[in-house]
Amino acid sequence: MIWEKMGKIFDPTKHILANGCIEFAQSPQALVVDDFVRIYFSTRQRDPGNGKFLSHISFVDMDKSFKTIGRVSTGTVIELGKLGCFDEHGIFPMNILRYGDTIYAYTCGWNRRVSVSVDTSIGFAVSTDNGLTFKKLGDGPILTSSLHEPFLVGDPFVKRIENWFHMWYIYGTQWKQYSAKAPADRIYKIGHAISEDGISWQRDGRQIIDDKFSDESQALPTVIGFAGKHHMFFCYRQSFDFRNNRDRGYRIGYACSTDLVNWVRDDSSVGIDVTEGDWDSDMLCYPHVFECDGSIYLLYNGNEFGRYGFGLARLRTTG
Amino acid sequence: MFKWQKLGKIFDPTAFKNVGWMDEFAQAPSSLIFDDFVRVYFSCRPRPDENGQYVSRSAYVDLDRKNLFNVLRLSPGPVLELGAPGTFDEFGTYPMSVIRDGDAIHAYYGGWTRCESVPFNVALGYAVSKDEGETFKKIGTGPILSYSPDEPFVLSGPKIRKYDNIWRLWYIAGRKWKVVDGKPEPIYKIRMASSVDGINWTKLNKDVIADKLGEDEAQASPDVIFSRGRYHMFFCYRQASDFRRNKDRSYRIGYAFSDDLLNWTRTDSRVGIDVSAEGWDSEMLAYPHVLELDGAVYVLYLGNQVGRFGFGAARLDGVLE
Repeated sequence: MIWEKMGKIFDPTKHILANGCIEFAQSPQALVVDDFVRIYFSTRQRDPGNGKFLSHISFVDMDKSFKTIGRVSTGTVIELGKLGCFDEHGIFPMNILRYGDTIYAYTCGWNRRVSVSVDTSIGFAVSTDNGLTFKKLGDGPILTSSLHEPFLVGDPFVKRIENWFHMWYIYGTQWKQYSAKAPADRIYKIGHAISEDGISWQRDGRQIIDDKFSDESQALPTVIGFAGKHHMFFCYRQSFDFRNNRDRGYRIGYACSTDLVNWVRDDSSVGIDVTEGDWDSDMLCYPHVFECDGSIYLLYNGNEFGRYGFGLARLRTTG
Repeated sequence: MFKWQKLGKIFDPTAFKNVGWMDEFAQAPSSLIFDDFVRVYFSCRPRPDENGQYVSRSAYVDLDRKNLFNVLRLSPGPVLELGAPGTFDEFGTYPMSVIRDGDAIHAYYGGWTRCESVPFNVALGYAVSKDEGETFKKIGTGPILSYSPDEPFVLSGPKIRKYDNIWRLWYIAGRKWKVVDGKPEPIYKIRMASSVDGINWTKLNKDVIADKLGEDEAQASPDVIFSRGRYHMFFCYRQASDFRRNKDRSYRIGYAFSDDLLNWTRTDSRVGIDVSAEGWDSEMLAYPHVLELDGAVYVLYLGNQVGRFGFGAARLDGVLE
């Protein structure tokens, strides 16, 4: 397939953001409304206590040509968690699913640890005001660490297919110390779960996307159906020295399936790569595919994990 | 009212010198009865690290079945390994509850991790022993029961039982972290889950025991025993703040009963055991565990400083009904 890049469409540093957020517009995810597209993203505030980051969800409304920015959210879309809760230190990303009259949100909540930097779990919230604000089901997560997925359960993407809710997500397999001086780095893989109600989930309990190399970290799966198949895009990277070394940083991977059980990974078919000299010259990450008025689009982040915004590409061929 | 005869302190971890993994504390006793002895699992702590931080280890002590004050042996080491970096039980396994089923001993335990905004979090782990409880092997690196919308943190204090082929797990779940003098203190409530295989659990998702001290009451150690056609639960409870040094706000033992395992009637007035005027249990009573042994009913429990200097026992006069 071939993706036609449409460039960076949103730069958070050019807008006033709620919660005192200053940079980052990560993991853009679309909600297509009648005459515009609402794109949710995660942006960052400095924690006044210790200068660390707190990720908050915000959104921007764009016209369907993705050239004109309408509204940028000025209020809190979803509150961070209370003291000691799984999403106390950030929500990043948030996946949106229209369901009946309401809008469901699947969040990846962050909380800081001592021996390792962080843990994550997946939360659930509902909006009854067309996605302006979301209310959580409870203080705790709907999917978290379990016997064989011991930490870092996150990056949910939920889709309804034939009366089932399907969730693709990631789970950690190891915190690995690559050098004596560096803090431990995390390794995570893509998993899958199904649900009848969107709240109680049954996991497959296995890694569904083959590794491309040892110690590969796989993140943010997104799935769309067309041409008789299910197509998954995700991002992957080496598990250390991936922040500043462009050859080890995130790229977008691809897999397809006809039965939602077996996925064939074929990164050579993904049809999108870094562009020399551009905003996405060093990495491509946090893909989100969606359909709008008959076209298929890919939202994604470029360099520095989306510190200066996100861009868009349109699918030209499906070959 | 039940009438308990206090027997005194049975086991003092500080009486053992140069045990690297056990310096102080013998918390949350849980028994396993053998032909000649009673094996009591407990959680202890080696000396704290340079930052004053503790880890908890779980071990056992074998007591003479004919005389529980006769300590036969201490386990050669902890019976459970700590978890790998980043896992839920990296910094402690406490408490631990055991049950014999088939040819194995099954252990459910609280696994401890350390957090930045609050001191710790806890989730429930599972391990199996095929050597009569000498050592336990985890079947996974993650927890067997963890957080959910209504149980957002601190799942701890598991008590495992099996009645009519259904596994029952009583445990506590954190409700909120209350900041007292700038320090977060957890408030937790007694909860329950059921399972047909001991591995896949369904939570009841409700508070099992009514509050006595208001919504900030912390409840712990929900120890259940079946006797005379009825289920009896002994647990402990305390105020949310100033419970460590103020004896009037510290742990006491509570009591509830049930005929169906789901609905419990709390009647602390029947519990029949309280702090002593002086001695090792003069300030608090905590982490009760009730067992029936050779026709008598005993409660093992912790005294002052939540078991820092060991656990003791009391024997029931009469029957549990």
